[in-house]
This record gives sequence, C-alpha cells and structure tokens, in this order.
Amino acid sequence: MKEDDRLSKKILVVDDEKNIRLLLKEELQDEGYDVIMAENGADALEMIQKEVPDLVTLDIKMPGEDGLSILRKIREIEYDLPVIICSAYSVYKTDFSAVAADHYVTKSSDFSELKNKIQEILSYKS
Amino acid sequence: MQNKFRGEDYLTQLEMTTETDITALDEGAQKRLQQIGSADIVVGIPSYNSKESIGRVIKACELGLAKYFSHHKSIILVSEGGAVEDTLGAVEALNDKYYFENAFIPKPEHETEIIVIKYQGASGKGTAVKAIFEAVKILNAKAGCMLDSDLRSISPEWIELLLAPVLMKDFGFVTPYYCRHKYDGTITNMIAYPLTWVLYGRRVRQPIGGDFGFSLAFVKSLLEKDVWETDIARFGIDIWMTTVAICEKFKICQSFLGAKIHDDKDPGKDLSPMFVQVVGTIFSLMEIYHENWLKVKGSRPTAIFGFESEFAPNPIDVDQGNMIRKFQEGLLRYQHIWEKVLEKENFQKIQEVAKMEVSHFELPVELWVKSLYDFSIAYKNRNGGFSSAEIIEALVPIYYAKTASFVNRTQSLDTSQAEEAIRKQCGVFESLKPYLVEAWTSQG
Repeated sequence: MKEDDRLSKKILVVDDEKNIRLLLKEELQDEGYDVIMAENGADALEMIQKEVPDLVTLDIKMPGEDGLSILRKIREIEYDLPVIICSAYSVYKTDFSAVAADHYVTKSSDFSELKNKIQEILSYKS
Repeated sequence: MQNKFRGEDYLTQLEMTTETDITALDEGAQKRLQQIGSADIVVGIPSYNSKESIGRVIKACELGLAKYFSHHKSIILVSEGGAVEDTLGAVEALNDKYYFENAFIPKPEHETEIIVIKYQGASGKGTAVKAIFEAVKILNAKAGCMLDSDLRSISPEWIELLLAPVLMKDFGFVTPYYCRHKYDGTITNMIAYPLTWVLYGRRVRQPIGGDFGFSLAFVKSLLEKDVWETDIARFGIDIWMTTVAICEKFKICQSFLGAKIHDDKDPGKDLSPMFVQVVGTIFSLMEIYHENWLKVKGSRPTAIFGFESEFAPNPIDVDQGNMIRKFQEGLLRYQHIWEKVLEKENFQKIQEVAKMEVSHFELPVELWVKSLYDFSIAYKNRNGGFSSAEIIEALVPIYYAKTASFVNRTQSLDTSQAEEAIRKQCGVFESLKPYLVEAWTSQG
C-alpha cells in the first residue's frame, strides 16, 4: 500500500493503558495512518459508529468490559470491520471468541507484526 | 436462474430441471402447510430411518422452542426419506410431553405442531432439505434451522443459538461451531475449511456442518438456484449452501454448539464416498464461482455467538498404518493419473513420500496444498481425458497420506494446539493461492 493510501485510512486503537495508546498512535502515525483512540468498550463502540474507522486494534484485558466482549458487539454493529486483537496475553488466542478477529498479535516492543498485518488487511480491503 | 451446474460427469449426471418444474412436497404436505398458513419459525429435520434417535432430537427442539421462542408460532417438520410409519411412531411416543415437566420448562401457549412428510424426488439429503425449504417459503417463516436426525448431543440451547442470530441480528446463515476431537472431521479440517478460507476468503470453521440456521431470504435465494436436481444439491448440499451464502454476500455467523456426538469414524475407514461427494462439489463450485474466488485476496473471520464450555470430545482411534498403506497402494493404482494431474515436481515428491516409514511419515503441508490445487485444475480441465469421478477418486489416497501425516504431527497435542496447527495449515493454503490462480488462469 502506498503512503498516500494509508493517509486516508483511519485506525481506532482501543486500550485502557494510556502509554500504550500513545505509543501505538505514534507508531501508526509514523506509518501514515490517521489514528483515533478509545480507552474502553463503550467509547470504542461509539467511535466506531461516529468515526467509521477502517480498522480497530483491540486490547483484551481492560477494566469493565473485556476486549472479546467488545469484539462480539463490534461484529453485531459493523459486521465487516477488520479487528486485530493486540494483547499481552497469548492465552486468549485459543479462546473461541477470538476467532472473530482478523488477527491476533501478542504485544511486544517490536510493532512490525502488527504493522504488517494492518497493511495486509487494509490492502485487501481497498 | 443462475449458477447452473457445470460438472459434466461428476458421479451420475442427472437431467437438468428447474425449481418450478419439481416440488419435493407431495400434495398432502402442501395442503397441510397451506392450511397452517404461516409460521414464524420452521425447524427442519432431514431423516432417513432414524426412529431410534429422532425422538430425542424432536424433544430438544420442542423444549428449545418453548424456552426461547414461546411467543413465536413454530413448526417442526421431519422430511423423511425412509419409512414414514416408523418416524410417525417415534413422534406418537412423545404424545404425553412428560419432558417439559422434567426440564422445568412450561408448555408453550400454542403447542408446536410436528409434521412428518415423505419427501418426493431423488433420494438423498438434498431433496429432504429442499422439502423443508419449500415449507419455509410456503409458511413465509422469518427463520428456520436444520438439525441432523441422529444427533446425540443436541440440547434445547441449540435452537436458540441457531435461530437467535437470524431473528435478532439479521444474519442470513448461521453455521455450527463444534468442539470435536482433533481426528474427527478430517475432510472438514484438511479440505473444506481451508478451501473455503482460501477460495472465498471467509473463515468458516464448519462449512459442511449439518446443523445450521437460515433466514427466509437465504432460503428463497437457494430455491431459485438451478442445481436442485443435480449431484451438487444431492450430495454436497452443506458446502454448496455455505459457498452460496459467502458468494452472494449473505451475513454469516457461527454459533458455538458444544460437542457434536455422532457415530465416530476412523478417518481411514468408510469416508471415501463422502470424500468424493464433498470434494467433487467443492471443485464443481470452483468452476461456478471462479469469478468470485479469483478476485479474493486474504481472508476474513466470521462472527461467533454462544458460550464456550470445556468439553472432552470422544477420542477417535486412528489406524495410521492403514492410511499409509492405502496411500502406497494408491501410488500403484493411480500412478497413471497422478502423473498427468500433478505438476512434475509435486509428483516426484509424492513418490518420495510413499517410501517413508510409518513412524516418521510426513506429507509436507505445502506439497499437500499444491497437490490439492493441481487436482482442482485437473478436475476443471479433465486432464489426460480422465473423468471428474476418476480424478476425485485418485485424490483419496493422497488425502489419506495427509491425514496420516497430520496424526503423526499432532499426536501429543491437545485439542486447542491441534486447532492452532489446522489454522496454520490454512495460512499455507492462503500463501499458496497465487500458485492456484496462476495455474487456473493460464490453463484456460
């Protein structure tokens, strides 16, 4: 995907930890994406309807509603919206609810897998 | 009418007819349905002499409808291909409805009517399903579901899980998501699941599951297809429906139903007729929907509903030696076909694999995927003048080799680890799609 194409793509980062949200925002903005953020499920679902992102990165372990529950709700309102689970815990990868995500990335200091997957999924979408 | 069946000599070729020519409902059934007029829900049970097990399935359906959809007008329709009297006898035995009290579920205000019909037309599941779909259309039902008549693990919750996504979330097709033993459903795991994933870009875990939910719009779309009197509808009805749902962009989801307990089979025994039917249909559908799948890049997940519980599926004993022997015998029997169907390099590697000992036998995933792709191309082009049936039969021993290899690699893995191995295999199918696309387009 060319950089010009990426500029028109909006990514919603959903994570309860502010530092991670900001870090992801910076990394993805460097790649040329427009990045918006939500710190919980309620905000995320509202932003999905208002802001119409092209892709969502979703944490699982969050206070209140967890990421897998949010994923189920996303699939109900935006059936085809690409979602990448981005969690520190690989154990949820085998949770059957996680199959409704496009991809599962285990958080690390290396963002290349996440970036590659975002690029791949958005290129299919376009 | 569209999507006419093009597999010219797959199994037995039947005369083409259209949906308007033939109905699977006899006059009596049509009259009864017209008397009923309308219903909100139709639960269909295709059956063939299942008097021993059908009572349990009907009970679960009645309880599920009463528990979750008591305000809806529902019909249970058994579409019987065998002895109707026996099935009617099994239904009669349920007359006192003692099981409502046992399950602490109040009887519904309007008792669910149970209708048993003998479907008309060619014998087979496709015609049984068609009769049910026709009933759904006559009754203008909002939603329906289909359940196998020999299920042993069904519970009333299945009714909710298959119908609620249609009634409450506007899904068109609800496929099942079962917890199965790692060696149960090998045709699904090795072929139907990965090919649906790679061809049509949709990750549907059980694309040939016999238990599913559907909307009226989806049923009407299926009834319009000109395939009902062909082998696709007769033998490959489940994969056909999944493929139509994806290609025609109906909203699809999955519902977690827990364990599916049925008569387990060693994947090395008795499965070749099913293999021929399912794979023949998949390859035929590749021809019909080639314009769709050639454009598809990547894959998308499918929404899933339900609550995951821990199950320990019944273990399945697998005779690897038998499967490897069948593969080696296949080399002798089908060498003349493999040589023409497989790319030269793939054929050479297959010959090498045939020399391996049972203990460290392995058919590499890449070789399996390329071989399967080669066979799909040969099926389209009828390479070497072989009939489509001959080509599919010649693939069976390689499928046994792949299954034996999978068993070797996953023996020490638990269910979820084996599931991850299957997912990774689907990734290989996806990464090798350019090989298939290039071969398909370059060979006309």
